[in-house]
Formats: sequence, C-alpha cells, structure tokens
Amino acid sequence: MSHYHPDELMLMNYAAGNLPTAEALIISVHLASCHQCQTYVRQTNLLGGVLFEKITPATDDKLDDVDAFIAALPDRKNNLNGKNSSTPSGYRNPLGQYLPDDLRTLAWKKQTNTISKFDLNGLVGEKGANVTLQKISAGARVPKHTHKGTEYTLILSGGFSDELGVYHKGDFISRDASHKHSPTALQNEDCICLTVLDAPIRFTGWMRILNPFLS
Amino acid sequence: MRLKIATGQAASMHGSETSTPNQDWAELLKRVAVRDDRAAFRELYNHFAPRIKAYAINQRFGQQAEVLVQEVMTSVWKNADKYNEGIANVSTWIFTIARNQRIDILRRMNRTNVEVVIETEELWQIPTEDTTVHSIQQISTESFVKKSIDTLPEEQMIALRKVYYEGKTHEEVAEELNIPLGTVKGRIRLSLQKLRMIFEAKDL
Ligand SMILES: [Zn+2]
Repeated sequence: MSHYHPDELMLMNYAAGNLPTAEALIISVHLASCHQCQTYVRQTNLLGGVLFEKITPATDDKLDDVDAFIAALPDRKNNLNGKNSSTPSGYRNPLGQYLPDDLRTLAWKKQTNTISKFDLNGLVGEKGANVTLQKISAGARVPKHTHKGTEYTLILSGGFSDELGVYHKGDFISRDASHKHSPTALQNEDCICLTVLDAPIRFTGWMRILNPFLS
Repeated sequence: MRLKIATGQAASMHGSETSTPNQDWAELLKRVAVRDDRAAFRELYNHFAPRIKAYAINQRFGQQAEVLVQEVMTSVWKNADKYNEGIANVSTWIFTIARNQRIDILRRMNRTNVEVVIETEELWQIPTEDTTVHSIQQISTESFVKKSIDTLPEEQMIALRKVYYEGKTHEEVAEELNIPLGTVKGRIRLSLQKLRMIFEAKDL
C-alpha cells in the first residue's frame, strides 16, 4: 500500500488528459497498485463527465452524413467471438507486458558501481521524454543533486530514504527544483524505481562529474 | 430527420432530462451491445456527438473536429458491451473515450518512432471492473454532482473548464487570465476540495 501519492492537481490533469505521456505513464503505473488514487481519478473523471454534459453542444449540420455513418458501422455481433477479451478488468500495470516479472534480469546499464539504469524513452516515443528505470544497490547513496524541473519517482521494489522521509514500494515522490536531495537505498534489498524527469538533473556535489542521470 | 424510438423509456428521455437520464443512456447502450440496435445508437449520437464536437473545437481541432466525433462514436459502438453502470455514468464514460481518442490523435502526430510504443489505452485505462473500496451509485449521484458544480464560484468554473474542455495547463490558464499561477492552482484546489466533500458525503 502506498503512503505517498501524486498531488491532486496532477491527478486532475491526468483525468483531464493534459499530462505529457511520460507523466501519464508513471501515474498509470502507480494507479495499478493504489486504490486511493483510483478512487480519486474516478471522481475527477466524473467531474469531467459532468462538465462534458454541460458543454454547449456544437451544431451538427450534416445529418444525412450521420445516417450514412451509422449505417456503415460494422455489425457488432461479429466481434463478439472475442468475448474473453471483454471480461471485466480493473487497472493493470501498463509496463507489465513490456518488462520481465523479475526486473533484476533486465539489461541494466551501469552508471556507477551502485547505480544502473534502463531507458524507457523508446516506449513513450515522444521527443523530450525522460523516462528510466533506476536501480540503486541496497544501502547505496545517490549523489546529492537538484533538478531543473520536477523529478517524479515511483518505487517498484525495495525502498529509499532521503532528507524528507522513508519510502517503500508503491510510493510516489515528486521533487522540484527547490529540493536538494540525496536518496539512499534501504539496506535489505536493491531499490528499483521508475523515474520521470521533466528537465535534466543537475548535480550539485563533487560527484557532478559522473552525472549518472544525465547521459 | 430524427428517428423515433418506440419504447416509452427512451421517449421520456428528452422530456425529463433534469431527473436521471443516465438510466436511459445506459439502456440504449445495452440495446446497442445486445442487438446492434442502430436506432438506439442514433439517439446516443444525437445527444453526444454535438458535445464531442464542441469538445474537439475547444481543444483546437479545427477542421479535424469531425474526425474526433467519428472516432469516438465508432469506439462507443464497438465497446458498448464494455460499459459498466457500476463504474461510470454514460457521459463520464464517453468523456473518457473522447479524452483518450484526442490524446491518441495528438500522440500519433508527435510520434518520434514507428516502433512499438505503449498504447494510449494502457496509459489512460478505462477499467471495466470496480476495484476500489467504495461502492457507488453513479446514477443517483450524477444529477446531484451536476447541481453541486453549479454552486461553484464562476472563477473556479472558468479554471476547471479551461483545464477540462480546452486542455490548458495551469500555466496557460494563468497567462490567459493574466493572474498568478498560484491563484489558478488555489482556485482549482478549492473546487476540488469542495467536490471531494460532496463525493465523500455521497460515498462516491
Ligand atoms: Zn496513490
């Protein structure tokens, strides 16, 4: 169960469909395991539905086209053989079909002795996306850094702590330019996170030269 | 030209829109799902297509507005059997489809690679089963929520509309209204707080 969640404004922007794809990805992975945020998204969807109902309808002056359009819709009965595909389902992890069950088996790219990453930008397929999986060895510390923009982190396994708290699997953390932080993975297991950056990270300490997240 | 529906239920739809039309829309969807009822679909189209078009125009689709209308209505037709009254009322369900199709069109335009990318329907999922702890009676609450939204101050409504109808970021809303970003966020937070109180009171 998560104890740290996305901000309500971010969830509303998600429901309104206004988040960049990379941010929608991290939100939807969090949703797959967070009932509290599922409820909140359902409420903000309902708000969207009510606003949609209240929209001033545009005039439709092509009624003849509509008849043709409706007549041309394929018979639905024919698709019903795939009845299994419409078994009810709740939220699922959108990364599930692209990643192995055991994330440790991924082709990690070593950044330092204790930090590795796996690039997911191709999956998002948009310019400027900055989405990676990060793996921090148990007990290891990430060099102190700040961000130009905002860094969103979702813990997929293990946990870490920083100056502001201790975080575990399912927690969603956002850090903006005002935070200078240095996460340390918890002792018992490697920490794997999904990280989305809306601007490049800037290292502030002596480790700057390594800039593992910048490449 | 307008198709007439023979059942009393559908006929009452336009007369009593202030009560709870959702049941009627849901009934029409069911008829589409069960027996490819094109007349029922026409009723849904008459009501929702002009709203989808307005949404598309607000989202700056311009000449492409009709494309969005047809994609959304085709999706409603194909997925009618996936609609679940327990999760969402029909206008919310159609709103989420319109939102997703809009995103999908934009993503197709901005795509940088032609290889496998994660599908929009995976990123903005429309669940067909309720997995949350709350039980909901969407139908009885829809008109209540609608009325409650009417009590929000106009300045909050303007901000919400810009976010939902026009797809504006908070920064864009601030710039457009020429007010500080913090003020925009404050107004939206206030409206969300009020709505959350409404939802909680209704156990939504
Ligand atoms: Zn959450």
